[in-house]
Amino acid sequence: MAPEARENSGQTPDNVSISRARDYFAVPAPIKRIFDRFPLVTYPPNDLPQHGASNRTSNQLFVFTDAAGARRGKPSFNPQCLKWQAYLKFVGIEFDTLPSNNHASPSGALPFLLPARPVSNNTPIPFTKLQKWAIEQPHCEEEQHSNLRFEVYASLLDHRIRNAWLYTLYLDNENFTSVARRLYVDPSTTNSLVRVTLAAQLQQAARDELLKSSEYIDVSALEAEADDAFEALSTLLGNNEHFFERSTPGLFDASVFAYTHLILDKGMGWKRNRLAELLQKHENLVQHRERLLKYF
Amino acid sequence: MVLELHVWGPAFTLPSIETQCLATIAYFSLAVPKDAWVLVASSDPSVSPTCELPALRNGSTWVSRFRNIVDYLRQYSNGAWDLDGGLSGLQRADNIAFSSFVESRAQTLVDLSLYVTSQNYYNQTSPAYGSILQWPNQWILPPKIHAAAKARTHHLGLSSLDLQAIEEQRQREHSAAVAAGQIPSNFIRRPRDTVTSLLGKSSQQNQFRLDAVTEELFEPLEEILGDKVYLLTGESDGPSSLDCLAVGYLSLALVPDLSFPWLRDAMKSKAPRVTAYTERMRQRCYGLGADVSHAYSASPNSGSSLPWRAPERARLATLRTTLFNAFADNTPILKDIRAQDRLRVAAESPDSGLSEHDGQTLSTFAKSQKKDILVNIAYAVGGVAALIGYMAYEGFFTSETGDEAKDDDFENDEMNPTLDIDSDSFQAENILSGF
Repeated sequence: MAPEARENSGQTPDNVSISRARDYFAVPAPIKRIFDRFPLVTYPPNDLPQHGASNRTSNQLFVFTDAAGARRGKPSFNPQCLKWQAYLKFVGIEFDTLPSNNHASPSGALPFLLPARPVSNNTPIPFTKLQKWAIEQPHCEEEQHSNLRFEVYASLLDHRIRNAWLYTLYLDNENFTSVARRLYVDPSTTNSLVRVTLAAQLQQAARDELLKSSEYIDVSALEAEADDAFEALSTLLGNNEHFFERSTPGLFDASVFAYTHLILDKGMGWKRNRLAELLQKHENLVQHRERLLKYF
Repeated sequence: MVLELHVWGPAFTLPSIETQCLATIAYFSLAVPKDAWVLVASSDPSVSPTCELPALRNGSTWVSRFRNIVDYLRQYSNGAWDLDGGLSGLQRADNIAFSSFVESRAQTLVDLSLYVTSQNYYNQTSPAYGSILQWPNQWILPPKIHAAAKARTHHLGLSSLDLQAIEEQRQREHSAAVAAGQIPSNFIRRPRDTVTSLLGKSSQQNQFRLDAVTEELFEPLEEILGDKVYLLTGESDGPSSLDCLAVGYLSLALVPDLSFPWLRDAMKSKAPRVTAYTERMRQRCYGLGADVSHAYSASPNSGSSLPWRAPERARLATLRTTLFNAFADNTPILKDIRAQDRLRVAAESPDSGLSEHDGQTLSTFAKSQKKDILVNIAYAVGGVAALIGYMAYEGFFTSETGDEAKDDDFENDEMNPTLDIDSDSFQAENILSGF
């Protein structure tokens, strides 16, 4: 008797509270009507970008650069892009530069090259395969990597100088605002909210990269290591025209030039450039950069 | 003043488990007279204000990292304890370049071999950390080190050495297939891979890649060593700091006895001369084998050639700070606040290397960030409070239902004890009947 009575008395308020909760979370009718109309318009899929492929008569290298710089074939402001741009110039392959960004690249990183003559179904060539492709081209002599110091000294550029570069460009706040933000962030969007996010992402990526090898970022250690690296490169170059006593510049010259040019380039607008001070102590590296700049 | 060198503790019969520490120990044993330094296996980066090991302590001065310690020793001894003093121009350049080469390439390989290769990590490296670390660090530090090593080697794309990564990948694919709705989730076959089958597969798939990576490291070293006694110099000139780095990194590739010894095999087959050189240098620098007991119960005639001194056992205060730090750094909002605090302290400290202006900007930045976080918390709390208030105002929580619930509670309270007693007595009866 007692449980039944309780059930009866409890029935009404219980249901009311449930239906009230349902009302509370139900989509109001006017809003539901609006959402029922979506999608308002369905656009047809975009065509594949045909214009570049159809009337392409020369090789196209996609790099970080601005439109004006691309027309005149000026050096890219990204070391990795500049390295390959310079290398292709040095080995005498004709190409046009086009401004691009990482999202456009099939491998997710610039530079990449669309060859003029369709090699195999017109596939783009990422920079990791550029050297192999260049060697297969006519009139391009194969570079001998027989020197054991090639890989070893390349590690100076890939680690010591690159780390100092990452710090100088991305984590030094004045340089970041005047150089990196202007070159990488501002051209990609006009939305200030996206710009702020993009800038923060860039800086965080640089920070993560530096913190991979150490617990904290020691600026003086980074600079001292870059100083050592320049000294070693200067000794390796000696009085020669090019590295490893080559008669024409090669891949290693291109790798060195990619950093020395950008560090010494007045057009980059550095606010604080400790690397340039360290580099200018080595006269032969500065002259090496000036010699190679004539190719552009 | 005796110099104290704080390092990660011994493992695999080597005096330290970490490459930079091994390199620094080698430098000390070759350059510094034996009575001028002691080796402390503190195995806790927080002993040094730089939070890094190896760390050199001289009175109140702390210096960390191999390169900084070598520079410090040169200045401290006025050039007497300097292995690189007699190098010629090209040798000096080679010393710099090969040091960078060994530090970057060999570190990746050691990371791959000791940490990323799952069998090795769980069977050898992790237990080795367990025996040198004190509670609670043995639960906090190894996962951190493991994750850092994985991050460093991520770009090589050799994740199939890592069983954990494979498992995650498979779960992703599994859930992707379910989400796509192609296959009912019950019908997806989950192949049960044993460790051996995975090992066999991964070693075949990775053999080429590993071959290339190991060759890149060992070939130049084998070539520069030639028939010399040291990497750069001959017998008469003595070793250079590059030799210390090389023996530090390479002995961790050669010596440990691992479940999946691909690195040692590659080294022995690709670089026989470097292998012999590493073995020779190792015995010269570290003696015949360090045991964990040498480091922690150091006595003058323990048979070790290194000047061990037992580390201080952790005091209650340091234990508490370690626990607190680990806990706080893993709590979402607290973590951000602490990071900003650290930034501010670093910016305000006089020897941060920043100009006065920079320091001020940085510290105000840190302060404002902290304020931001607090404001965010306040907003969130305020928002929730407003929502609840609004719901109450709208009558979402009615007073009748509240009373009803209360009544129910009372009745349940009255009912339950009797029920409990009943079931208890039943159990008792059951037990008794069982006897």
